[in-house]
Amino acid sequence: MSLARSWQVLRKDLRLGPRSPIVLWALVIPVLITLLVRGVFGGLFAGEPRLGFVDLDGSAVAVELADRDGIELHPLADEDSLRAELTAGRLDAGLLLPEGFDAAVRAGESPLLQLWYAGESVPADRAVLTAMIIDAVRSLTGVAVAVDVEVVVLGDEVLPIELRLLPLIVLYAVAIPGGMVPAASLVEEKERGTLQGMLATPTTLGEVLVAKALLGIILSVLAGTVTLAINDAFGAGPLGIVLSVLVGAVMMALIGLLLGAWAPDTNTLFAAWKGVGVLLFLPAIFFIWPGLPMWPARWMPAYYFLRPAFAVSVEGATLADTVPDLAIGLGICLVLIPAVVAAGRRLERRLVTGRVEPDRRDEPDREPQPA
Amino acid sequence: MAWGGCGVQTEVMNPAGDLALRASDLRYAYGDRVAVDGVSFELAPGEVLGLLGPNGAGKSTTIKMLIGLLPPQAGSIEVLGMAMTEHRSAIQARLGVVFEEKNLYPTLSGRENLAFFARLFARRDVDLDALLERVGLATRGRDRVSGYSKGMRQRLTVARALLNRPDVLVLDEPTDGLDPVSARSIRGLIREEAERGVAVLLTTHDMYEADGLSDRVAFIDEGRILALDTPEQLKLRHGQRTVRVRRRVDGQVEESVVTLDDDAGDRLRELVAAEGLLTIHTEEATLEDVFVAFAGRRLE
Repeated sequence: MSLARSWQVLRKDLRLGPRSPIVLWALVIPVLITLLVRGVFGGLFAGEPRLGFVDLDGSAVAVELADRDGIELHPLADEDSLRAELTAGRLDAGLLLPEGFDAAVRAGESPLLQLWYAGESVPADRAVLTAMIIDAVRSLTGVAVAVDVEVVVLGDEVLPIELRLLPLIVLYAVAIPGGMVPAASLVEEKERGTLQGMLATPTTLGEVLVAKALLGIILSVLAGTVTLAINDAFGAGPLGIVLSVLVGAVMMALIGLLLGAWAPDTNTLFAAWKGVGVLLFLPAIFFIWPGLPMWPARWMPAYYFLRPAFAVSVEGATLADTVPDLAIGLGICLVLIPAVVAAGRRLERRLVTGRVEPDRRDEPDREPQPA
Repeated sequence: MAWGGCGVQTEVMNPAGDLALRASDLRYAYGDRVAVDGVSFELAPGEVLGLLGPNGAGKSTTIKMLIGLLPPQAGSIEVLGMAMTEHRSAIQARLGVVFEEKNLYPTLSGRENLAFFARLFARRDVDLDALLERVGLATRGRDRVSGYSKGMRQRLTVARALLNRPDVLVLDEPTDGLDPVSARSIRGLIREEAERGVAVLLTTHDMYEADGLSDRVAFIDEGRILALDTPEQLKLRHGQRTVRVRRRVDGQVEESVVTLDDDAGDRLRELVAAEGLLTIHTEEATLEDVFVAFAGRRLE
């Protein structure tokens, strides 16, 4: 196995990429879908978390929050106005600062703080706002004080549709460049006979497959991270997001190689992709309709990179929270490797025994054209 | 040492001595169908061996075994003194192969195609422009292959086979379906390589090409080599030479064909001496005639 030769094949594929409709399609479509969703639903992760507050006693907490970056503060006159704004979804959270609150905190008491969340607010925004409010309360005394927080959720606790669509967009951004591009590239090499041409040099099929896998992984990570970035969906744990995308990219590249090694021609590959695509994309359905039981999604490999990415970007989870799912995702990748090796051996046999014949339809019979 | 320029010739490295390739008792069957059945031959440096046979005779399967794509089910292959089973990669580094299909990247230019395969051979010293000039593609080297004609593509595949300065060239139907100019150009390149000392194995079902290019010809049919010799010897031993005499007799043109055997002298003298002689043509047997004599069917 020569990584230098794999690199040469990869370099050639990267050079061919901009001239390939399927590569352009794989990279451009996720961006277009994002723009479409933004246009229709008013934007994904738009702006900073919006906090409304009612201050009945000129609290220093309100002054402290006003000095903070990263939140949008909306003062309101009374409790009814706050409730109305939250119910209408114009605010993410609301804070009711009762009379004598500051004095009680400074006296070392544990006054009750009412924190209301809109049902459609994002868990990651809730986490940010809660941390900021507690920090602002502590600034009153300069030491850690106990504050009783009563959390009330107003309205149905459902994520906005643009967030529920995020797994589908991420899945597309990872699966098509990661799976379809290497599969199509491998099938194209078979159809053109260039795979046989490479194998007549010291290049081995293993080196070609490594190059195709790397092609898928690179494009998939690129498309996945760019799509998440333009959706402002890195949340508080960018490392967790990148790891999720990476696990997804490797998984999809291996599935792509399996399909590419198996399919004798492009038509068969596209037909097979439609079938496999239903299974691959199924987990996204369970994020779009969270009322559905999630257990069927756990049987699909894509769940194990979608779930961690969703948890970090939307629910404010940490990298540690995502480790179990990512470990299962990695395990699936390890199981796929011997399957790809077996598929490669089968492909090699089929190539040399003439069961995969180059397609000669694109060979012209005409005479040279003027330069 | 740069290579590839027009007219630049270099010596072939052949540490194995006199033999470039040896195939011994090769056998391969696809299920119940035997494709190659005990094929054996040797190829010397600078020699052109034509493997002549109809479609389905076992030529392509033999080629696949010789270039290391298909492991023989029986028999052995030795190239430049190295056994294929043990040194496949080293052998492939010294083989140049032209496949029947034009397996090129249509969206890359001719030059980019060559550069890619040169990198697979880890050859950074190849003068691609000189090589393109040698195959008559100097002015089209930077154009995409998708705009090339069939003949240009084939010349490019020949250039690709020469990238690694091969010691053994294996050419599968290199001029099949080409216009006469392109075919002549490729035959010229093959001759040049053979003169340089490269051993050339050529498969074709074109008897005239095999006759004109090959030092020796092997007839293959149903997976077996039926005969292996120089074209001259094959024709001399197994073909019939004839003389065709045309005369005008009673206002009609009459044609007589005399086979050149032991009794031909008297019969010819008689025909020539007779009145009304118009033309005399000698005719030599073709390789096709010889093949028919061996296989009982034509080369189609």
